[in-house]
Amino acid sequence: MTVKPQRPLGNWLLDALPDAAYERLANNLRPVSFSLGEVIYESGGKIENVYFPTTSHVSLLYTMLNGSTAEMGLVGNEGVLGVALFMGGETTHNRAVIQGSGEALKLKAKAAQEEFARGGEFQHLLLRYTMCLITQISQTAVCNRLHSVEKRLCRWLLMTHDRTRSDELQMTQEFISHMLGVRREGVTHAAGSLQQRGLISYVRGHIKIVDRPRLEQYVCECYEVVNDEHARLHSLAVLGHAKAAHALR
Amino acid sequence: MCPRRRPIPVPGNALAGRAASLSNTPSDLNMSPLGSRLLASLPAKEYSRLAPQLKPITLSFGDVLYESGDTISYVYFPNDAIISLLSTLNGKTSVEIGMIGNEGMVGISLFMGVDRSPTRALVHAAGSAMMMTSMAAQQEVQRMGDLYRLLQRYTHSFLTQVCYLSTCNRFHAIDSRLARWLLMSRDRSGSNELRLTQEFMAEMLGGRREGVNKAIGAMQRNGIIEYSRGQLKILDSPALQRASCVCYGLIKTEYDSFS
Repeated sequence: MTVKPQRPLGNWLLDALPDAAYERLANNLRPVSFSLGEVIYESGGKIENVYFPTTSHVSLLYTMLNGSTAEMGLVGNEGVLGVALFMGGETTHNRAVIQGSGEALKLKAKAAQEEFARGGEFQHLLLRYTMCLITQISQTAVCNRLHSVEKRLCRWLLMTHDRTRSDELQMTQEFISHMLGVRREGVTHAAGSLQQRGLISYVRGHIKIVDRPRLEQYVCECYEVVNDEHARLHSLAVLGHAKAAHALR
Repeated sequence: MCPRRRPIPVPGNALAGRAASLSNTPSDLNMSPLGSRLLASLPAKEYSRLAPQLKPITLSFGDVLYESGDTISYVYFPNDAIISLLSTLNGKTSVEIGMIGNEGMVGISLFMGVDRSPTRALVHAAGSAMMMTSMAAQQEVQRMGDLYRLLQRYTHSFLTQVCYLSTCNRFHAIDSRLARWLLMSRDRSGSNELRLTQEFMAEMLGGRREGVNKAIGAMQRNGIIEYSRGQLKILDSPALQRASCVCYGLIKTEYDSFS
């Protein structure tokens, strides 16, 4: 007999659900473990399950025809993977790859859609999160256009650090170059620069965040914009106001 | 560019002359006689029920429908007007992160439960739209009927566009991005003619005016466009498509999916 997961689970969305909504979903939630590099969704793949990360986090990637990749966004315990399912789409066009190994909760697509269709708290939270994701991706669009590789690396390191538990990030330059859509040399240069400023240390493929407060000061404003959006969602969830905000005035 | 605030909506002869302008529409463009293809996708009964809540409005180039952070009081369903969503950094416009025409709704944040616009919504091509109060829109969304389903699909479309634009901004050069942008504008305005300054285009693309200037010059020399005193005319749209990055085709597929 499967044991029903007990809250708090460590995922904001699931933990913010009213008890009744959670009870309906709980029997369909399965804990899963992921390792670095595992592919959750392929581009164009059908969404069979949605995933609520707890200690893992995921990179949403877009792959161009010529093979170059760019990261659209990061999803950790603040979110859910598979939002396309809730927008009448059955497939996702981003590739979702585990960037931080750890756990998540898996929910079958059908159960998720049924709960969403009830039009209650689950729906409100997921729509609200979709807004966060759009904000994140569009801010990346701006950042990609206007900010230096160094600032972009800074932002990416902070966002990753937010979603992991360790100050040490297991990353190769190769990996980072795929995420940022820059050449490896660009990453080396940018990382070197951040190291010189005493913000990170970078030794043999391991980046360690050395001075988080100064890293936050140095990063471009794009980091705060996305954080603010997440903070708004989080405070709504915590205060249980999501429903109130959605109701008629 | 002088964006001006439009404090009070001006319902007007927005749809007058529509028939005339449609007859000039290039035949390969996906323009609906009802204007908004999103609204046109509603079953007739549903559209009739909503009609009293929809007011036609004329929009002019440079009108700012929302500033970044503004509360959304009205939502808009463009007919042939085109709205650019611009991110602002430190109060200054930076880059266009989305373009909305007859396939969509301006104010989609409302659908997701956020009553403010994170971006500036600027009219980049004059034309008409249908507007609805945010209260009426929220009531409609709560019903979870046909409009709700269309807005769900549009949200997905919009998310897709945002993803493609993000990649485009990362990888593609100003000339191919400009071609993409011109084609996207053409699709949504229903016309080969656009009124734009080079400054404006540079702002939209997050590039420098010099880069736009060079790109425009090259397109003119190749007979793809004609550009004079802020008036741009697309002469050879197949050639413009070849000049564009692959993002145009991908975005167009999404755009066409509301048929």
